[in-house]
Amino acid sequence: MDSEKTPSAMPSVEPAIERPAADIASSDPERWVEEYGDYLFKFALTRLRDASRAEDMVQETFLAALKGGSSFAGRSAERSWLVGILKNKIVDYFRKASRETSFTDMSFYAEEESYRFIQEGAFQGGWIHELGPVQWSPEPGAGLDGKMFMNVFNDCAEKLPRNVARVFMLRELDGVETREICELLNISESNVWVMLHRARMALRRCLETNWVGKQA
Amino acid sequence: MKIVAAIKMRFVIWVWNHTPHCDEMSRLASRSLDGTLPRKLRLKMRVHFFICVWCQRYGQQLRMMHQRAHGLDETRTTSQTLSGDAKERMKLRLRKSSDA
Repeated sequence: MDSEKTPSAMPSVEPAIERPAADIASSDPERWVEEYGDYLFKFALTRLRDASRAEDMVQETFLAALKGGSSFAGRSAERSWLVGILKNKIVDYFRKASRETSFTDMSFYAEEESYRFIQEGAFQGGWIHELGPVQWSPEPGAGLDGKMFMNVFNDCAEKLPRNVARVFMLRELDGVETREICELLNISESNVWVMLHRARMALRRCLETNWVGKQA
Repeated sequence: MKIVAAIKMRFVIWVWNHTPHCDEMSRLASRSLDGTLPRKLRLKMRVHFFICVWCQRYGQQLRMMHQRAHGLDETRTTSQTLSGDAKERMKLRLRKSSDA
């Protein structure tokens, strides 16, 4: 597995990221642009969903790397090092953005697919049989073509409200723990749980409609 | 046969009354991906699965999505790349910055 994809922590300060062992003279910053520019851009775009902002982040990453370069020493690969810096930049951006925008999106919060559950009577809160989750065929995981799954996943994630998508991406793509997300974005853990629950529910439904539906 | 059906029904009702209902189960399915739930709750969820194929499926599908998302190569989710102009701009700024 790529080590840069599952960071154990996402601190906001750059010095925590070690610079690769190669000496600074052999790390031509302009070569970084050719070699890692597209990779970093795609990485940022997936999370930010804004091409110009993603481009800015990549630019800032290279500048930060250039500035901090000589003071780091370590063994991690050059790309992982750059991805690490980029991740911190993105988290910093999320943190700032979360201060500016409210984390409540009423239409999203109202939506808990309650219509799928029995509303009254002895079995209140149970799935309405016709609306319960259907069996995914082929068996979950077995026949899921990687690229196709990714495309549907991405399309569906794009429909989530921006704030929820941020939490969702941090948790699901980057594997950041919920407690850490709370600290990063300054929101309560129960709020994070609610957002993740709604996001997963929406995504599951979206996958069911767009992917499984097409298979049938 | 009638006796078996009656016992079955009583079992279902007992489980229903002693375990979280499906709407709550869907919340718990999500929570269980973000940390370990108390043992008693996990046990109740397991018992609920005996009587509810939908919750079982829901839980499995959520877990599958969670695991697949972790393994995604996110850079393959978009075909958009940096334009030649953008790359040149970046190089220029890096050059200026390293000269300064």
